[in-house]
Amino acid sequence: MQSKSLLGASALALLLAAGPAFAADTINVLVEAGGESLQKPIAEQFTKDTGINVNFVVVPYAGVYDKLSAEFAAGASNYDVATVDVIWMAKFADFAEPLDALFTDNVKADLAPALLADSQVKGKWVGMPEWANAEILFYRKDLFADPKQQAAFKAKYGYDLLPPANWKQFEDAAAFFTQDTNGDGKPDLYGTDVLGANPEEWMAEVLQAGSPGVVLDDKGNVIIDNAAHLKALQFYTDILCKDHAAPEGAAQVDWGAAQNMFYQGQTAMMKFWAHAYRQSPADSVVAGKIGAAPMIAGDAGIAAIPGPWYNIVPTTSQHKDEAKQFVAYAIAHNALGIAAPLGLAASNAAYASYEDKPGYEHFKPLIQTLAAPATKGRPLVPQWQEIVDQAVTPMLQQALTCKADLPTLLKNAKATIQGILQ
Amino acid sequence: MPQSRFAMLMMAPAMLFLGVMVAYPILLLIDNSFYHVELLKPAVRTWLGLDNYIKVLTSERLEDAALRTLRYTVFALFFELVFGVMAALLFDALGAASRWHRTVFALPLMVSPIVAGILWRFLLIDQVGIINYGLAALHIIADPGAVSWLGNQDIVLYAVSFPDIWLTTSFVALVVFAGLQNIPRDVLDAARIDGANAFQRFILVRLPLLRPVIAVVLIVRGVDAAKTFDLIWIQTEGGPNFQSEVLSMNIYQRMIRYGDVGQASATATLFLAAMVILAVLAYRFTWGKNRDA
Repeated sequence: MQSKSLLGASALALLLAAGPAFAADTINVLVEAGGESLQKPIAEQFTKDTGINVNFVVVPYAGVYDKLSAEFAAGASNYDVATVDVIWMAKFADFAEPLDALFTDNVKADLAPALLADSQVKGKWVGMPEWANAEILFYRKDLFADPKQQAAFKAKYGYDLLPPANWKQFEDAAAFFTQDTNGDGKPDLYGTDVLGANPEEWMAEVLQAGSPGVVLDDKGNVIIDNAAHLKALQFYTDILCKDHAAPEGAAQVDWGAAQNMFYQGQTAMMKFWAHAYRQSPADSVVAGKIGAAPMIAGDAGIAAIPGPWYNIVPTTSQHKDEAKQFVAYAIAHNALGIAAPLGLAASNAAYASYEDKPGYEHFKPLIQTLAAPATKGRPLVPQWQEIVDQAVTPMLQQALTCKADLPTLLKNAKATIQGILQ
Repeated sequence: MPQSRFAMLMMAPAMLFLGVMVAYPILLLIDNSFYHVELLKPAVRTWLGLDNYIKVLTSERLEDAALRTLRYTVFALFFELVFGVMAALLFDALGAASRWHRTVFALPLMVSPIVAGILWRFLLIDQVGIINYGLAALHIIADPGAVSWLGNQDIVLYAVSFPDIWLTTSFVALVVFAGLQNIPRDVLDAARIDGANAFQRFILVRLPLLRPVIAVVLIVRGVDAAKTFDLIWIQTEGGPNFQSEVLSMNIYQRMIRYGDVGQASATATLFLAAMVILAVLAYRFTWGKNRDA
């Protein structure tokens, strides 16, 4: 009797100990709100096909980082999958299951090279792209198609007015559209905006200028003072300081302010994340008048800083197999999420399946920008956020005062970054 | 059961709560400040002794952030106090008729700081902000781009305090109003009979009698303003070029965004000590042995 009890207890203990090995009914996915809407249709289909429920834990943007950090520090996690911004990949790499088996040749062939490069940290496949964004060029179709504007532009610059494809055309168009429309002697329409609070647009121009990387090269050397960085900084600040083709107060203009100015009809062009194409407010003065073009090109061609989000499987997950199953399913059925308000995907096939549909005219410029050879992600180092906060953004804001010596600013930023990396 | 033991028993739950929720985290904070600890790997700790404190005390960035914290606190507190006392005097003069005014005036208190920060960000941001359009319409400024509230490095620290002043002036007004209600009417009547005019009655009678109330406001709001984080973060994230970065923001960034728990703990410990010292000084100044209030 005693031995039977002992056997029963042992069997129970074994069952409990082996608990995580049993198939899970539910997996928990940590995600921010936009990401939930993209993955929900995929999850519903996944549940139908596999019987595994997907429970989304939706938090604000910063909450994803804060919650994961806290759970990794504690050594336990409630999450089986986390959808994370690419800028956190390096920090979380040590706490993520390798996903090498999921990166089959078919999967790799269907993703832009820049997205694949950002999937790996120190040679390990850490995250599977779930959706990818990039800044493209938004422009006012009504202005660019206006015969009077076209004639005036051609008379002034000697070539046809078209959505800008390179630096020169962009600078010309920005200067041209900075106009005093009500005759009060001050511009009411600016060519574009210049961002001081977010440095990604300047970083994109660094790549367009031919730099092998942004701020750091692939070996981790600080290259923020190389010729391409300086050339890009000169071009970036010229729009504001030399051409006066963007509103003053650029130091604190961020993406939200840039969007507001464009939607209020204050700017003729805006470099912005592609998803905004389908989110233009109906009551905006520019509603129905917005065109999309690929990001502008410099000496190295078109280039942008991608904004992808990746699904990672935390090492602390209790249901790793099911989690990996979901991650693989999500990329295989990537197009299911495109109908969501954010309207983004990661795979080429998903984008291609929508690019000819009305309302998705921005997909071709987005794919072209993402696939451009010079497009490259931000360096995947754990100190990236600190580098941006402490060196890059303050440097850019100083440059946008139009009073600073640009080479000196870059040199000082280099010293700060080297201090952070030590 | 002896009375002292009964008293201890009654206090035990509160002491336990304070011990777990206040004393333990503070001790942990102080302990962490002597180590190099990474947020994601808290079990790996390297003893540094006073290195974190030396780094903090010799950092120009932190010195600047501390000075900005002081400037922000003094600026916000000054206007909250001035506007709050003025509003309280108005309510007092209106008497019972001020009931609705007080209710409406207290509405900003119900607004979350994050919401207030976003709201004011869009009010203040040049080219888009309503405030600059209003000022331009009134011909106070030449055009909506003339003042860059959140972009000008010289004024941004004061501009980000506007929502703080807007949110908490009503709190100051209500507390001071309650203090005014407690001033004995016969004292004011005596001053009036002695020939004191309204200004003299305020300066010589009401203000001295309001001293404990104002001290409470100064301590509570002073500490609150000094540790402001969300309001400023949502408006500028400390920019441009760190010119609106205050100490709490620096601690948050170092601890959460950069994962440097040790140095963030050292800064937070010094910040905590400074706040305690200021509060004790304010307390002693108001209720010290030589004071009769």
